[in-house]
Amino acid sequence: MSDAVATKKGWRPSRRQFLLGLGVGGVGALALGLPAIRLGVARAFDKGFTPSGDSLDPTVWFEVLPDDRVRLHLPKVEMGQGIHTALAQIAAEELEVPWERMEAVHATTTHGPVDNRGTSGSMTVVGLYQPLREAAATLREMLRAEAARQLGVPASSVVAAAGTLSVREQPGKTLRYGEVVAKHTGTWEVPEQPPALKPAKDFQVIGKPMPRVDLEAKLTGQGVYGYDQRLPGMLYGATARPPRLGSTLRAAREGKARQQPGVVEVLIGSDFASVAAESREQAHAALAHLELEWTRGESLQQADVDARTTVKDGAGVLVQDEGDVPEHLGRGKQLSAEYRTPLAAHAHLEPQAALVEVKPERVRVWMATQSPGSIRKQVAKALERDEESVELVPMYLGGGFGRRLDAHAAIEAARLSRATGRPVHVGWTRAEEFRHGFFRPPTHHVLKASLEESGRVLAFEHQQASGDVLFSLIPEAAGVVLGADPGSWRGATIRYAAMPHRRTRAQRVRLPVPTATWRGLGLLANTFALEGFMDELAHAAGEDPLAFRLKHLGDDELGRRFRRVLEAAAKQAGWGTPAPEGRARGLACSVDMNTVVAQVAEVSVDNGRPRVHRVTCAVDCGLVINPDGATAQVEGGIMMALSSTLSERITLEDGRVEAENFYDYPLLTMRDAPDIDTLLVGDGDKPLGMGEPPMGPVAAAVANALFTLTGKRLRTLPLKL
Amino acid sequence: MKLTINDREYEVPDQNPHRVLLWVLRDELGLVGTRFGCGAGICGACTVHVNGVATRACLTPASTLTGARIRTVEGLSTPGPDGQPRLHPVQRAFLDAQVAQCGWCMSGQMMSAAALLEHNPSPTPEQVVEAMQNNYCRCGTYCRIKKAVLSAAQQLAQETKP
Repeated sequence: MSDAVATKKGWRPSRRQFLLGLGVGGVGALALGLPAIRLGVARAFDKGFTPSGDSLDPTVWFEVLPDDRVRLHLPKVEMGQGIHTALAQIAAEELEVPWERMEAVHATTTHGPVDNRGTSGSMTVVGLYQPLREAAATLREMLRAEAARQLGVPASSVVAAAGTLSVREQPGKTLRYGEVVAKHTGTWEVPEQPPALKPAKDFQVIGKPMPRVDLEAKLTGQGVYGYDQRLPGMLYGATARPPRLGSTLRAAREGKARQQPGVVEVLIGSDFASVAAESREQAHAALAHLELEWTRGESLQQADVDARTTVKDGAGVLVQDEGDVPEHLGRGKQLSAEYRTPLAAHAHLEPQAALVEVKPERVRVWMATQSPGSIRKQVAKALERDEESVELVPMYLGGGFGRRLDAHAAIEAARLSRATGRPVHVGWTRAEEFRHGFFRPPTHHVLKASLEESGRVLAFEHQQASGDVLFSLIPEAAGVVLGADPGSWRGATIRYAAMPHRRTRAQRVRLPVPTATWRGLGLLANTFALEGFMDELAHAAGEDPLAFRLKHLGDDELGRRFRRVLEAAAKQAGWGTPAPEGRARGLACSVDMNTVVAQVAEVSVDNGRPRVHRVTCAVDCGLVINPDGATAQVEGGIMMALSSTLSERITLEDGRVEAENFYDYPLLTMRDAPDIDTLLVGDGDKPLGMGEPPMGPVAAAVANALFTLTGKRLRTLPLKL
Repeated sequence: MKLTINDREYEVPDQNPHRVLLWVLRDELGLVGTRFGCGAGICGACTVHVNGVATRACLTPASTLTGARIRTVEGLSTPGPDGQPRLHPVQRAFLDAQVAQCGWCMSGQMMSAAALLEHNPSPTPEQVVEAMQNNYCRCGTYCRIKKAVLSAAQQLAQETKP
């Protein structure tokens, strides 16, 4: 850190404890009726930032510059979700710094707070809200005490406001934060008492639509992303890719690759063959001149993927079991349905990229990654070096969506840099992204319910089968303990507490196609199935889908919150009034990371294709840090989910991903974008998840609207009439 | 080979006649504001202006551009009287509407929008969609982009009023 930073010598380890003690708890939607051991392990997945070591030392988080700017070093990465702005707001609030003086940068693995968990799961603001307020308030108190010493007055007479420290009733006696830090010598005193935090009613910055801290750089074309990073003398790397899933190198020879223009190095290992060249195009072109023999690999066809992704009745693990479903499922009117969702790509627009410089004394990695700590470990391992000599410098991400846990680009660049002694940039092509990454897993859902004559659901069962989400990222043994993948059953449990008998079963499907995290994990697929079926039940009961949902909510806090978002969205969307000519409305709701969401979609059919005109979304995400940022997450999440709902599907043929570029995998465009009406209706005193929850209801709301419009019940994504 | 980019002349080694403008800009000249997304002219992240026309840098061989006026996002703002860059009305509108999320597609979005407004200073919403529908935004900021382009048009109209 720079000289302007408060040294951290005065920060005694025991001091950390009071902050730690108030630290971060587990969050997330946890199912009831889950065996205790599973609950414990599942809860571990729901934990956000885990404070450790220096993590709560304010001098690690903050840099107070001589010109009074405050630079916040953040352990969580900015991939568009606006967290750097939200976290800067949280810090500015307690630190009493004017907004225009706040800056937010990525901590590197050697400068700033340490975080080995990565940025995912809508957990950043939830997890950091309390610790960051405490760290900021602690720093403010330290500055106040130091200003008092420098001014020769008691600390109690010094007031911190707007980045200055003034002595009460002595207008001339004022020091700016930058001055206090610059004049300080020796160690910093740590306040004996934990600082008092501001009550919410006094918030000046939290809850306001502050402009984002990262946009000006992003809108003026500055090179701030992983693909952008450059160093003098750098080379470009490319790596040969297998022809099919599961193909491995049987034999590899340089062939004429080394003689190709611009080629500096050809590197062949037991399971890879890479080229470094003076230009990116030369590196990729030289790959064709390697002599490679691959094993045959998979012959998997799309029909095999679908067949394997099929619920086997009674198989898998119960993740929810309330009441007695087997006893009651056969009574009353029986309904059942099957839903399917396909493999899907992340399609973040900046492909994987890393620049690595290997030097004898240290390695530096510049990368856009959701998981800096893990990438650092993997690079160190690939280079057989100790982790301490590797520094990971996170760059802004051109989209993440769960895809950027992948270390390949960094490892490929690191090996080539070690071999050439020069910095090497590896940037994947779009075809590499589509064919050699990982995907959202396919899912299959079997839903059954029994409906009483009164129109009440007596029993509701959801059985789902899914490819791996988190299981592909954790040790096999942890998967054995858990039984079912908490990522794939995210959003799968039935939250209508007035239904007496509810059960959810999750089945693991092992597929040769790599699948893992995708924004919201199982949320979109599970909500599509649950809320689509809920709509079927409402129609079977001859009831209005809104009224039918409301009457099945519990009397508890969750039921109250669901009621509020459902009623707010319905009212705003004109639910119960006739839709415009040729259109119909559909409704759905979900809860994810404790955030409750209800949406009404208004659709028509245009040349045989579904068209979504408007989505009205009511969200209770607790305390809103930045209403404009939260609204942006609603808009973006809905658009991404809508693209899955109407367009996106990855298919396999003979062990290969068919899609090579966007011509095989079109995303929705501005032409398809609905108007989005966002209502933030929460009244909680803590922030809840926001990056993923708004995606939940989209597919179901659209499918439900299409049913009302056309009478066709669509149960497979993407929706085709 | 000489290229004129943002009113400045650049000498570029003509290593390969097929080399596309995108990699010349990014890897050769360090103008990394023009982004790579697909390399197939679909996503629009690499959109630049060639003689005022929105053009995909990932498909355009640099060797075909000698004598052409090339403009990238780095040349979208203009130097103000105080030496500080003066943002293009499209950039200001994108900032005011807080359009960007991850931001990777934004250079291309703004270059498409700026080209549209140069040819049609007061587009209808439908004309904005027509001009912008070939620029992907995976973060899903389309409704804000549309709003910002329309507001930039209004801003331009006010600024050019006699």
